Amino acid sequence: MQSRIDRWIERGSRGLASRTSRRGFLGLFGATLTGASLIPLLPVSRGAVAEASEAPKPSDDPTSCDYWKYCAIDGFLCSCCGGTSSSCPPGTQPSPITWIGTCHNPVDGRDYVVSYNDCCGKTTCGNCNCNRNEGEKPMYRLSLNNDVNWCMANNNPNYHCSISVLLGVAGE
Amino acid sequence: MRLTSSARAVALLLLMSLGLATHALPPPLPVETLSVERLPEASPHWIWVFDEALYNGTDSRLFLYDGDHHRNLGQIDSGYYGLFALSPDHHTMAVSTNYWSRGWHGERVDVVEFTDTRTLDFTGEVLLPPKRAQGPPVTFGLSYSADQRFLYSTNLSPAASISVIDVAARKVLADIDTDGCVMAIPSLSRRVSAICETGKLLSVTLDDQGREVSRGFSEKFFDIDSDPVFVQSMKTADGALFLSFLGDVHEVDLSGSAVAFKPVWSAVAGSERGQWRPGGAQQAGLQIAQGRLYLVMHKGGPGSHKVAGTEVWALDMKTHRRLARFKIDVRKYGGAVAVQPTQDAHPLLFVTTENSSLLTLDPETGRVLYAEAKLGQSPWYLINP
Repeated sequence: MQSRIDRWIERGSRGLASRTSRRGFLGLFGATLTGASLIPLLPVSRGAVAEASEAPKPSDDPTSCDYWKYCAIDGFLCSCCGGTSSSCPPGTQPSPITWIGTCHNPVDGRDYVVSYNDCCGKTTCGNCNCNRNEGEKPMYRLSLNNDVNWCMANNNPNYHCSISVLLGVAGE
Repeated sequence: MRLTSSARAVALLLLMSLGLATHALPPPLPVETLSVERLPEASPHWIWVFDEALYNGTDSRLFLYDGDHHRNLGQIDSGYYGLFALSPDHHTMAVSTNYWSRGWHGERVDVVEFTDTRTLDFTGEVLLPPKRAQGPPVTFGLSYSADQRFLYSTNLSPAASISVIDVAARKVLADIDTDGCVMAIPSLSRRVSAICETGKLLSVTLDDQGREVSRGFSEKFFDIDSDPVFVQSMKTADGALFLSFLGDVHEVDLSGSAVAFKPVWSAVAGSERGQWRPGGAQQAGLQIAQGRLYLVMHKGGPGSHKVAGTEVWALDMKTHRRLARFKIDVRKYGGAVAVQPTQDAHPLLFVTTENSSLLTLDPETGRVLYAEAKLGQSPWYLINP
């Protein structure tokens, strides 16, 4: 039963995200993100100084919270924990269930569907905390929510860090 | 032995200094008796401050802080992604949480733990099915029925349900499937409601054994795509208050047999709408008797709904007018993360910030009465005693 629900959630959320483009407000939102990396990165901290933003400057550094793939990530970046932006650190297990975002790649101008899986089985990594919420919804739309512990259904549900895995170009 | 005159002088000085030293010594300190502090009589100016322990998340805790005397009075441990419910008589803090038998691995335990708020002594526990919701603290993640007999605990496995717990018997009575809706908002004697992605409330009525008697959906009161409400809602005199991402205030009356919604009003008027938004972790706090709503506000666009606040706004619940806007010294404290007024006739306004400060504000002027420089590592949620 559990695995059926998991598969349903994953299928449903991938489909939903691929139909939902956020290109329209990316320009607006980009302005709120720039400059925020100067302040301490508690999960709610990005943007308290956002009014003093500069022009958007996309990052290609997977250890930076400004990296384009992280547009709806909430947690510690696995790139800073022994993994990469799309792989879990050694000795951890990826969550089979996930939340979904659609992020704009400023390099090729495309929107990509991104699966944000958590890596589980060790306590919080504590490095490179990052919280961005493009298109994120409250817990009652679970497939688009980044607040809950997505390690919830793992054998060891301890949350360690988060990755972003490209699933394809949005709308294709 | 004959001393030279200089040696005699040195000896004399030594004797004098020894004498002076003997006379200058204060009496020895009294012997101390090892003891354990007891909490004084509870004050309405106390506040529970939840520290999620972001960087070592299996070790969260609640601090009890005295807003008049500016001191931390004690602690309740809350494990991993703790959720909280203060009993209606205010004498018990219930905490639902997780532990593992080997700290970070081993057998999983889901549990509700009870602590006497007058002594901070642990008083008991109830084991839960291994599926309690793990996420940020929310007002109705765990809740008591009005008569204190039942506790309702939100489950997410990811299937959503509510465990009904008999508090006196210390056992789980039932598991109520909530059809994907989340939270456990209590009302009447035996009714519990959850928020659904359809923009409706699901309400389930139980019998005295915790079994479902009936269920029904409310009318749709928000639209998840255009302007969703935060799950971080508030208790009101007759029900609950939900705040939307754009600052609309949705009041629901849960005092009657039918769930009723009051006219929606906006905390962000005119050209400010869509420019200024609520944010942080606990976006709003309500002073129920005075009818004042305090909001953590920032300037930002879509997707900024968790951004910390540069201001706290005070609004009148009757006139819906903004009474004041208090600027937070972001350079000094970081942005505002959580807000909560006390519920007495002479309230204080508590605000926590990104730098882990707990600010005590005058709710009339916004003046910082006291800044506790650092209380824990991630104090994101405030609970009134």
